[in-house]
Amino acid sequence: MPNAVSVMLHHQRRVRWGSLLGVVALVLASQVVLRVNVHQALFGVVAGWAWLGAHFAPNAAALADLPEILYQLWRTVLVAIAATTVAGGVALVLGLAGALPTSHLKAVRGLVRLFASLMRNVPFVAWALILLFSFKQNDFTGFLALLLMTIGQLTRAFIETLDEVGPGPIEALTATGATYWQVIFQGVLPAVAAPMLSWLLYMIENNIRDATLVGMLTGTGIGFIFDLYFKGFRYASAGLVVLAIIAVTIGIELTSNKLRQVLNA
Amino acid sequence: MLSVRHLTKTYPNGKKGLQDVSFTAAPGTVTAVIGPSGAGKTTLLRSLNRLITPEQGTVTLGDQELRGADAQALRQARRQIGMIFQDYNLIEPLSALENVLQGCLGQKRLLPGVLGLYTKAETSHALALLDEVGLRAYAAQKTRDLSGGQKQRVGIARALMQDPKVLLCDEPIASLDPQSTRTVMTIIADLAKARNLIVVMNLHQVGIAREFADHIVGVNAGRIVFDDNAAALTELAAAAIYEKEATALA
Repeated sequence: MPNAVSVMLHHQRRVRWGSLLGVVALVLASQVVLRVNVHQALFGVVAGWAWLGAHFAPNAAALADLPEILYQLWRTVLVAIAATTVAGGVALVLGLAGALPTSHLKAVRGLVRLFASLMRNVPFVAWALILLFSFKQNDFTGFLALLLMTIGQLTRAFIETLDEVGPGPIEALTATGATYWQVIFQGVLPAVAAPMLSWLLYMIENNIRDATLVGMLTGTGIGFIFDLYFKGFRYASAGLVVLAIIAVTIGIELTSNKLRQVLNA
Repeated sequence: MLSVRHLTKTYPNGKKGLQDVSFTAAPGTVTAVIGPSGAGKTTLLRSLNRLITPEQGTVTLGDQELRGADAQALRQARRQIGMIFQDYNLIEPLSALENVLQGCLGQKRLLPGVLGLYTKAETSHALALLDEVGLRAYAAQKTRDLSGGQKQRVGIARALMQDPKVLLCDEPIASLDPQSTRTVMTIIADLAKARNLIVVMNLHQVGIAREFADHIVGVNAGRIVFDDNAAALTELAAAAIYEKEATALA
């Protein structure tokens, strides 16, 4: 028996060292293929930050752009919130159709899960580029790009949340003679409201960040003016845009954390 | 009177859940269904309100037959049959009062039921029921913060909110400590007498069944192997139900 233990420990050590050496070899091989010089990259990062600090630090001229930046940021936040909340409504319906405890048709469940998978696996940047052809450069195109991707993400999240409810509460209300919709609204949704709202808040945070990038492609919102300042060599104003985005996303994150605490209390 | 005749249920995997099961349960009495694990107790209980649909036989409550009832008739029948569960099956993020109010969902029209709009009379009734099970002070408390015994009492109040003729209890004390077990069993037995309820409950504990039930149905391998009053359940009869030596159940 002790011999078997020592063989097992020896095998574990071999696996551990083998894995470590494999990772190191992979890193070295990728550096050779990509011609990355680690030493240069490390010092380059420091120099890069120094350059950013020197050119992107907001100055008095940049502060004059603040009202426009805040206005565009506000529009971006609204697009993100609108896309997420509309997606939340659609995803709730799809989630109910795709989750095991709430949907009795296997084929419908399969179709909804496939649809969600397709939607969420197309990146929002790809959606924005595809939609640009049909809807041109405007806020609605950005809204649609975020909406489609978010529907996929939230449908998947909602299905998993609903799957965790289990048959118990549904069975209990069905046994009272309640109808399907009464069971859903009075039994299922109250049980999953907190995790679902948590997902919604998380997606709002994500979409505010993503809306900036979508704006660059669709020529709208904070992304567009960042692109404008950057390409016009107005780096201080572009730096102010970045700071404003960081401040708003942190603010939204803190607010949603607080809301989550209230929901789970 | 609740009358069960020739009930048969076979699961898709070929397992016989129930085989030609017949018995009756009278108002004002507690009928305990006992038997080893996998004997078909839960299948039997869930067949009574058609949470499981048997392929043969009849379940008759008064003059209403449940097994062949259409969706509308089934919902109406279920309003008269309260049910409590081993795992309570409460909506844990909601308060005790909200959970009890859900007992009358089957009696409400679609929209008020969907929106959870309850009348003052319904709320007063729910509070009175919480008082009856000794939980008036916990009305506003979320049920996830209650103990097992308290949760089961909320489950009882929810079932009573239906103003039922029948109370089905699926292993109601399986998750409870001895003190809570006695409290819950006393409440159920008293309710059967006070409200003239037909109580049918699954139990694992033979001693508890003898003490609190009026009528005992023994089930083994989906068949009824004992059907008599509680006093007739001797050690030997119990051992036969469980296919054990009589001393093993003492």
